[in-house]
Amino acid sequence: MSRFGIAALAVLVAIAALAIAGPFLWTIPPEATDPAHGLAGASAAHPLGTDELGRDVLSRLLHGSRVTLLVGVAAMLAALFIGVVVGAIAGWAGGWLDALLMRFTDAMLAVPAFFFILVVITVLGTGVATLVLVIGALSWMPVARVVYGETLRWKAAEFVVAAESLGVPAPRLLARHILPQAIPSLVVSATLGVAFAILTESALSYLGLGVQPPLPSWGNMLQRAQQYVFTAPALAIYPGLAITVVVLAFNFLGDGLRDALDPRRRR
Amino acid sequence: MVVGEEVTRFLVQRLALGALVVVFASALTFFFVNLAPGGPASVMRFDVTAEQREALIKAMGLDRPVPQRYVEWLGAALHGDLGSSLLTNEPVATRIGDRLPNTLALAGSALLISIVAGIPMGVVQALRRGRAIDHVFSLISAVGLAVPVFWLGIVLILVFAVSLHVLPSAGVTSAASDTLADRLAHLVLPAVALATTILPTVVRFTRSSTIEALHEDYIRTATSKGLAPWTVVTRHALRNALIPVVSAIGALVPRLLGGTVVTEAVFGWPGMGRLALEAAQGRDYPLVTGLTVVVAAIAVCASLVVDLAYTRIDPRVRLS
Amino acid sequence: MLGPCTYVRLSALVLVATLVLSACTGASQPAGSNAPSAQGGPVAGGTVTIPIGADPTLNPWSPNAFVESLFINRAIFDGITKPGKDLAPAPDLAESWTTAPDGLSWTFKLRSGVKWSDGQPFSADDVAFTFNDVVLKPDLGAQNRASYAAVKSVTVVDPNTVRFDLSRKFAALPSFLAYNAGIIPKHVLSADPLKTTSFNKGVPVSTGPFKVEKYTSGQSVSLLRNENYFGPKPYLDKVVFTVVPDPNTQIAQALSGDITIMILDNKAAVDRVKSASGLVVASRPLVQYYWLALNQTDPRFTDVKVRQAFVHAIDRQAIIKSVELGYGSIANSPITPALAAYYDPSLASKYPYDMQKAKDLLAQAGWKPGADGVLQKDGKPFQFTMDVGQRGVLEPVNALIQQDLKKIGVIVDLNTMEWNAYIQKDVVRREYTATVNWWTYPSDPDVFPYYHSSAAGKGFNIPGYQDPKLDDLLVQGQSASDLESRKAVYKQLQAYTSETLPYLFLWYPQEIDVLSSSLKGVPELGLRDAMHYIGEWWLAKK
Repeated sequence: MSRFGIAALAVLVAIAALAIAGPFLWTIPPEATDPAHGLAGASAAHPLGTDELGRDVLSRLLHGSRVTLLVGVAAMLAALFIGVVVGAIAGWAGGWLDALLMRFTDAMLAVPAFFFILVVITVLGTGVATLVLVIGALSWMPVARVVYGETLRWKAAEFVVAAESLGVPAPRLLARHILPQAIPSLVVSATLGVAFAILTESALSYLGLGVQPPLPSWGNMLQRAQQYVFTAPALAIYPGLAITVVVLAFNFLGDGLRDALDPRRRR
Repeated sequence: MVVGEEVTRFLVQRLALGALVVVFASALTFFFVNLAPGGPASVMRFDVTAEQREALIKAMGLDRPVPQRYVEWLGAALHGDLGSSLLTNEPVATRIGDRLPNTLALAGSALLISIVAGIPMGVVQALRRGRAIDHVFSLISAVGLAVPVFWLGIVLILVFAVSLHVLPSAGVTSAASDTLADRLAHLVLPAVALATTILPTVVRFTRSSTIEALHEDYIRTATSKGLAPWTVVTRHALRNALIPVVSAIGALVPRLLGGTVVTEAVFGWPGMGRLALEAAQGRDYPLVTGLTVVVAAIAVCASLVVDLAYTRIDPRVRLS
Repeated sequence: MLGPCTYVRLSALVLVATLVLSACTGASQPAGSNAPSAQGGPVAGGTVTIPIGADPTLNPWSPNAFVESLFINRAIFDGITKPGKDLAPAPDLAESWTTAPDGLSWTFKLRSGVKWSDGQPFSADDVAFTFNDVVLKPDLGAQNRASYAAVKSVTVVDPNTVRFDLSRKFAALPSFLAYNAGIIPKHVLSADPLKTTSFNKGVPVSTGPFKVEKYTSGQSVSLLRNENYFGPKPYLDKVVFTVVPDPNTQIAQALSGDITIMILDNKAAVDRVKSASGLVVASRPLVQYYWLALNQTDPRFTDVKVRQAFVHAIDRQAIIKSVELGYGSIANSPITPALAAYYDPSLASKYPYDMQKAKDLLAQAGWKPGADGVLQKDGKPFQFTMDVGQRGVLEPVNALIQQDLKKIGVIVDLNTMEWNAYIQKDVVRREYTATVNWWTYPSDPDVFPYYHSSAAGKGFNIPGYQDPKLDDLLVQGQSASDLESRKAVYKQLQAYTSETLPYLFLWYPQEIDVLSSSLKGVPELGLRDAMHYIGEWWLAKK
């Protein structure tokens, strides 16, 4: 894998480690307010300063990383699940089911996701579970296409046909023989999917439709920070930078994996 | 140009499918929004009495069952009447019509920037593949793709509007002087911010498809004949390289339209994205449904146009 | 024959006399003359730009007229009265008013010679139309209808006199008529009073010092001087309201000189604005207070000691400092300092921030700390959910209150909701345990709708607090006939509510206004009230 890809992997591993272990090592609670010391600059007690209510920015960033990564990965898994199901069924079944499902996929791709997210979240209310479902429900299409393509490709392979003639049921065939062939492509989709989910969650939280305070997420930290852009611009820098770095890392990782796992692709 | 039978059949098929998608989207939205807790903003005021609330709900016809209201709405919509906004009593079509040009201007400019800047960047990367400029552009693209649009918007406003006072920070025009130059000045920052949602992808596609095109046999033949690389590129490779790019751009239009919601919020741009947010939060049912219909229709048309353009550029492609 | 010297002296005398005369009579002169600018005097001309958050609805009674509408509506529509510079009701369309001896009606003498902006004459019929056919009609759902619950009907006594007939005594009526109660034209709106879009979203017909010139949706509404205005000719040529939804953008525009005057919603930027040249920052009083409502249907909150304990536990000064940047004062009753005639400052230091006192009071109420520090009673921990509406400063305030209560062993879970859904749950369905919000009300101490037991459940008595003694005081305040007896009643009311805490009073916010240093003549009132005096604003030449 390219140097960038490996570097990206290292960065992500480091961030994951921070997300998991960080809050245990840096024990200031993210919701502990101290209004007398709001908007303080960097200090020994608060290496990244405090926000407008005196809450420790480093702690919120660490706890926020958990929420952001959790939502990102969970949403990607949801998208993966839906996409695999739709793509595999369409590819295997063929005929009108194939046409219906793939046309539906095309239709969903043609629709600007964000508009629908607005509406749906207004109905279902905000919260982590809703967010994961909604983002997942609007980003499964590329996965479906990939799985569809792979299913078509491997459907006619000798070993599949052989297994089929032995009476192996379709779901087993798909799960045991076909889908594993798609794993490289799925891994690539997954990493890019997490990047998309993180960006979407942060945009929604910025609009006030995502993760709700006082639970910190990098997106909603930016929402509050915009108010303080004149007095404490650093508050806006940290979460925005964090999002950029993580998304960048996932993108590089995805590209690196794509190049490494698919030898037929010409660089 | 004679529109062949095949093209007509294709068009009709796609339009019918598109119409179905739009209706489906409208139904989904209508039911969803009407199921949302709360009601129209005029009803959900702190200072409204229970009696006023009932009177208003009745006056707006919201005490009738949702399916019945959808059927009524659909009937009127098929005749071109998208209903009246609950928030302002103006026709939905007028409200959308006020905002549509602004969103189109914004999205269109972002698209233009992406094409005008993105394609040359991708071509240069392909020609200078592996060199420093290739890596630099790749890095810029990658960062552009990773930066959250609204954060970039805030940073741009801070730098260009607040610190340097070079460009205005929001709105479509200055109230005082509504000239073309003024409008363009207002358009720059939001369009640049929005462009970052698709520019990197355009660059990347152009780069990889140009590289592929440059590796084709007939190109090698041309270079071996002694034609200068630049002529080779422009005359032969580029035409073929652009094909997947056109298709990619078409696929990016929905992302662009989706990105207008946040961009308009940051820059106070009076477009459809802002309107959608206000309408959803204000439970303006007819307006939300109308907006969805319009947005879905635009997306369907855009993909149709792209597919048709595809056939003009690449004579090998047959409409399926 | 007069020599040149005499001639010059005589001319000078005449000139001075003219100047003196015109200065003296300038205030009551009809449209046409303005004293020329001697140094610092008002000059005619100029455009003032004011930002608003969204497209306004130009009809004060439309249920869709939200906060962005009221600024313009107060500049173009006149009410029967308007807030005086001391916030007591001042004449606007009415010149004077009296109440009947039995207190069951108010008679207003209207000005004569007032014209609508389309030239038609204004008369008592317009007032009768506005109330009888619009406000008092339940199925139209007019805004602010609740304020006129005591009004049975409006009778036209003669073309310049109207009488409001009441179902009970209503001392505050003249104050309420000054609050977003513009009179609308019968000859234009009798067909469809609240939904005529060419009026509400276009160019309405009005009587105020300015009238609408143009309405550009999503961008701006521009006003021109009303040449038919009954009062002194306004100095400004034009007022433009620009639609700027983002508060930071408003600030950026103020910094770059594109905005003349605005309310600084984002108080955190005040230092940045103060340091800019060419801008003046002023703090203004507001008739508003923030409160914490503890639902009285929950038995845990019916003990006044619990309520008092909570107020002691919440560091209100810290909230004011961090959320309002110090622009506010602690509240211990519903009467705000802005109502100077009624406000009792002796209550200001009640309920100091004292965690120990809070714990003691809770202990007296039967709440003792358990092993983990959480307060318990009958084996149950003191834990509940507070609903947080996403608007204004509510999110940070709730976060601070949550932490404050945690320190005394009360566990609060925050449920943040979109505003619309929040209203549906907490106000419409009253399904809540505790919530923080605020009241703004007309410049009168009559707070009956928010405190009377009849308003519990479906009315504006959000906590549902019911107390006959409080009811009694509220009714006395409405029936009192003169200022002195009203003052006495409301002094008692303030003392009583601060003891019994139907709502937990938090703080009185102040408004920060940012204006260009060249803008003069703006009275020292909140911008909403200052809009009533927009005819007196003027721009000094740079």
